[in-house]
Amino acid sequence: MSTPCSEGVVRMEKEVFVIALHEGGQFIQEMYETVAFARELCGGKPRIVVLAGDREIAGLADALARDTGLDVTGLSGRSLKHYSAEAYTKHVSAFFHNRGPVTLCIPHTAQGGDFAPQLSVCLDACCITAVERIEAGALVRSVFGGKFKAYHRPSAPSAVLTVLPGAWKRQVAVGDSPGRLTIVPVADDTLATTVHGIRESAHANTALSEAEVVVSAGRGVGKPEHVSNIRALCALFSKSAIGASRAVCDLGWLDYSHQIGSTGNRVSPRLYIACGISGAIQHIAGMKDSRTVIAINTDRRASIFGIARYCIVEDVNTFIPLIIDTYAKGRGKG
Amino acid sequence: MRILVCVKQVCDSADTLFIDQSSSWVEYGGHTVFRMNRYDEYALEEALRIRERFEGTGIDAVSIGPERAQATIRRALGMGADHGIHIYQEERGYLSPFDRAALISRAAADRGYHLILAGVMAEDDMEGQVGGLVAGMLGYACATSVISQELSPGTGEVLVEREIEGGRRERLNLKLPAVLTIQSGINIPRYPALSHMLRSRTAAIELIEAHALAPRASSGTRIRCAPAEAGSVGEFLEGTPEQKALRLLEILHEHSLL
Repeated sequence: MSTPCSEGVVRMEKEVFVIALHEGGQFIQEMYETVAFARELCGGKPRIVVLAGDREIAGLADALARDTGLDVTGLSGRSLKHYSAEAYTKHVSAFFHNRGPVTLCIPHTAQGGDFAPQLSVCLDACCITAVERIEAGALVRSVFGGKFKAYHRPSAPSAVLTVLPGAWKRQVAVGDSPGRLTIVPVADDTLATTVHGIRESAHANTALSEAEVVVSAGRGVGKPEHVSNIRALCALFSKSAIGASRAVCDLGWLDYSHQIGSTGNRVSPRLYIACGISGAIQHIAGMKDSRTVIAINTDRRASIFGIARYCIVEDVNTFIPLIIDTYAKGRGKG
Repeated sequence: MRILVCVKQVCDSADTLFIDQSSSWVEYGGHTVFRMNRYDEYALEEALRIRERFEGTGIDAVSIGPERAQATIRRALGMGADHGIHIYQEERGYLSPFDRAALISRAAADRGYHLILAGVMAEDDMEGQVGGLVAGMLGYACATSVISQELSPGTGEVLVEREIEGGRRERLNLKLPAVLTIQSGINIPRYPALSHMLRSRTAAIELIEAHALAPRASSGTRIRCAPAEAGSVGEFLEGTPEQKALRLLEILHEHSLL
């Protein structure tokens, strides 16, 4: 079957694979989202490859075959007990070596984004990262801070794709029988990488995760002294906390315990007020589950307005004092 | 210790951009201001700090682009890089991460770098690939999103922490040579002293023509670019700032948030 849509995208069912990422014996949510992406991409049943240590592989692969109804290949070995880009690149590329063109779908997480480019070199594949939509056969991703979209079509026979977290919804396989399971032991080898484990965040902030209202500062705040406006707005609400974009923390205006985003705190308050935040995908990943989002930004085209319920095109530094003033007057009257 | 830092020149703001005639990439308007990719500033700063600790370290800064890329290389020299390499590539729209990595790895191949540093991603195309691709092409070890590093030239290893979800950190040891992509926040990039910037103006920059590197056949992608649709599901509050403030307070009351 050849449609204009399929041009350049490998759509043959058997050739689309998901590399399943897991942590602490559990598959990450983004893995299931990537399965949904892969189903849309191939219009049928993709297959799954999961990598783990010898003791963990059977349980993981079995759960995956049951959860998704898809055929699962488990690669196991001592070097796969912990994630490392080196081991994943080596064993995934060995598995696909000489198999002909494939499309590999990987969650765009700190792990997926870590090994996908190296893997693409080993497979002579093209690499497209943080795919957020499939449109007429092209893979769509954000560029220039979300102001533009790029539509990619692979020009190599094989492709390694990473899928933006949250862009697809996990599908529940209903009535599907479990997929077939294959476990393949991989050769033990010495790696140039030694993994020492994971250290918890020094910046976890329970005030943020418990807050009902989060007021967040972005670069649009302009100066460190203007952060006081954000504090003042925050103080109008009970059970509120201050958040920040990564840029604001990098500039030292607020410390990293306030950072909201994929590598910071993830929040889902009743109300999220984004002040002078453009809406980078990494920031949105940390607050998209907020019930109501209000965004204030001078740029009408800012990506944050794409997900906000209420959009206000104003300069936060003049508008916030105005809100506080108007609120105070209202109370005085009432 | 020989270090290569990849510094990309990006436009300062997307506001001056428009889509080129073939809709394949953006064109830069006459008023476009260019500067060094912020993440690459962190990478360069980290290299400078390594040189402060380990005497005899040499830092090269490489950038790919047309004539204007020289300004970013001079900025790198002003910050303290020892040597600038300009891979000259005429203005031609989108250059894929694969093509960029192929050029950098060809240029780097015979220079015996122990460490190659790059920003975690470029602010313009946001692909986050060049570091990993260069590592793959050169057969270097690689860690991305590095938020701290401790180099041991004696053992030929580097201990790094990668920033992962939720601000947690994954610790790992890599054998050199290695590529590290540097996450923002690892340091505070220095502002070049005026005297250094003045000196960098006259510094010689090594020029390599991209086509002379004969990079491997592209395994890139065909690309089209379009402005993001407004696509807002929300309501824009209109009127004077005072009217917007009043309306916003009403909304907060309606949702029992105030």
